[in-house]
Amino acid sequence: MNVLEVKQLTKKFGDFIAVDNITMSVKEGEIFGFLGANGAGKSTAINMIASLLRVTKGEIEVLGKNIAKHGKFAKMNIGIVPQEMAIYEDMTTYENVYFFAGLYGLRGAELKERVIEALAFVGLGDKHKSYPKNFSGGMKRRLNIACAIAHRPKLLIMDEPTVGIDPQSRNYILGSVKKLNEMGCTIIYTSHYMEEVEEICTRIAIIDHGKIIAEGTKGQLKAIITNQKNIGIEVRSAENLDRSKLAGIAGVNQVKVEDRIIKITSDSEINNLNRIIQQLMADDIEIRSVEEHEPSLETVFLTLTGRSLRD
Amino acid sequence: MNIFRIALKEIRVIRDPKMLLFLLVSPLLIMLILGTATTNAFNGSLTVGEINVLYKNTSTSSELSKYWDDFTGQMRQAGIHLEGAIDNTDGKLKVKNNLYTGYVEITDSGLMYYANSQSLIESDIAQSVFTAFTDRYRLAAEVSETDSKQADAIMAGYGGAGYVVEESLNAARKPGAMDYFAIAMTTMFILYSAMTAADLIDGERKRKTAVRLLAAPVTKMEIFIGKIAGLVMVNAILIFVVVLTSKYMFNAYWGENLGLVFLVLITEILFAVSLGLGFSYVLKGNAAGTVVMIIIQLAAFLGGSYYPVEDATGILATIASLSPLQWSNAALLEMIYADSFTAAANAMLLNIGFSVVLLGIAITMMRRREGL
Ligand SMILES: Nc1ncnc2c1ncn2[C@@H]1O[C@H](COP(=O)(O)OP(=O)(O)OP(=O)(O)O)[C@@H](O)[C@H]1O
Ligand SMILES: [Mg+2]
Repeated sequence: MNVLEVKQLTKKFGDFIAVDNITMSVKEGEIFGFLGANGAGKSTAINMIASLLRVTKGEIEVLGKNIAKHGKFAKMNIGIVPQEMAIYEDMTTYENVYFFAGLYGLRGAELKERVIEALAFVGLGDKHKSYPKNFSGGMKRRLNIACAIAHRPKLLIMDEPTVGIDPQSRNYILGSVKKLNEMGCTIIYTSHYMEEVEEICTRIAIIDHGKIIAEGTKGQLKAIITNQKNIGIEVRSAENLDRSKLAGIAGVNQVKVEDRIIKITSDSEINNLNRIIQQLMADDIEIRSVEEHEPSLETVFLTLTGRSLRD
Repeated sequence: MNIFRIALKEIRVIRDPKMLLFLLVSPLLIMLILGTATTNAFNGSLTVGEINVLYKNTSTSSELSKYWDDFTGQMRQAGIHLEGAIDNTDGKLKVKNNLYTGYVEITDSGLMYYANSQSLIESDIAQSVFTAFTDRYRLAAEVSETDSKQADAIMAGYGGAGYVVEESLNAARKPGAMDYFAIAMTTMFILYSAMTAADLIDGERKRKTAVRLLAAPVTKMEIFIGKIAGLVMVNAILIFVVVLTSKYMFNAYWGENLGLVFLVLITEILFAVSLGLGFSYVLKGNAAGTVVMIIIQLAAFLGGSYYPVEDATGILATIASLSPLQWSNAALLEMIYADSFTAAANAMLLNIGFSVVLLGIAITMMRRREGL
């Protein structure tokens, strides 16, 4: 069964169209990735699904029921981890989760059990009495998640849950997401981080200017741009590099320099590796190694949207 | 049930000892300072208390005149000064000019009392005393047809019938400085809850927790009502403690009908909360807080929180009557010192009426809005 069904969903803010006629579905057990640059419309789409924004046009079904008619049912079955931290800093972690979970009809011993379970799940089991105002960014993010899962939602919507935290907390969160998914929770996961989406998502939608411009598994998405190849050249020093000369070579679409690695995206049909190497030699740049990869998801994104995920 | 949970969260403040101490100590401290520092002013002639009534006796009945003279003597002992006017004095004008609490004309057809609208309590007291006097006189007049001794007794206040005068004499108790400021600080403190209210819903928006509340299976109305109910309850509890502390620790006089006092105070809490909420919906962002703060301070200044405005005259009196604190303060004073419940009923009606309007505006705006 489809946990989520979205049909021709549109959201306008005045004349501005933030979400433009999107149609998609999420099946039970999926981790569905929502990939898009800043302002692409990810949060707006998610917020309509979670009944936080009014729908301008279109339909949303959660577990087969239209949310316009069965709002309460949809809300009971959805958990949302908002992009911005939504916790009470003057209440303990326990009280935070207890309060929010209590709004989902949980009572007494069951409520307490669920709160303890949720806090343990995000690794805050020993912090029941602590106040989040003293927490690190990562711990706050984890509490933000605990507040969303204590009522055991069928569909968990996570809006950039790993923004601005240390790698350790991020790994913990990614691990939790996978574990939740294994326990039967369907997840919609929004992120700026390509690696995260690549690592955990079973299916991905790329959203740009409010439209879904591509959707599928990683393999399917990469197949869209089989006409692209990535070349990575490690050099001793890229200081003397004249990027415009490289970009002028036939077939080369993009040249990026990261530290001592020159990353080139090029049409796969054109064999231009020799010319690239010749150019580097002419500029007196010492080559350490050369690699050719199949396109990454990042390349897919770049090619489709014409912009980089992160500004 | 959800309303209850949301309300309960607001009451949490009470659990925080530091916050609680601050909330309770500040009004009590100001009460103590003003109540003791200004005692002299209250015993002087400027403030509430001095009741000077001008009278003109044109009655031809020697009986009535005799009783009236006795009565003036009795009243002087009770602190009500009845002063005979010279024939050509315009008593009503003198009252209008706030020179007297009231003016009485005694004619053969009875007593006419002209009250001073600016010193409500004193006027009320005087009026009830005169009512008692006329009642007794009527009774005595009837009795005297058969038994003039008993009539004299009635007028002297020894008769079994009608202890009205004695009640009225009790009512002539005047508020001391502590009595006055216990009331004034309590009502002012209540008005300050408008500040908390201005941030009640906006605070949820700022903290982004509004998102979570809205995502939960709770309606906007439930959130709204829950939060208001919580805040009203918190303030009711605090006020309860403040009033009882002032009563038993500072010996402030709150009258015989504490229940009704609380009822008036609770309607004022509702009014204050609605005021803050209403403005937080009409004005965006921090503007609401600033405007509410100005309103509170003006209301406090004009409404008699720092000095009694009962004796104010002219424009100041008119402006004072616009202060929501003035309604409640005057109503409480009248209720406590003159046993007059009409003022209390009016104040409650005003408080509730304004609350309904302000909450109506807030709810309409909230309904239109996405989010809270
Ligand atoms: N309440 C609003 N009123 C007007 N415009 C809005 C509103 N909310 C969002 N927008 C606009 O809609 C567009 C989509 O915003 P949205 O927050 O959905 O993007 P996003 O993909 O989540 O971006 P980010 O990665 O920065 O979170 C943006 O241009 C934003 O400015
Ligand atoms: Mg967003």
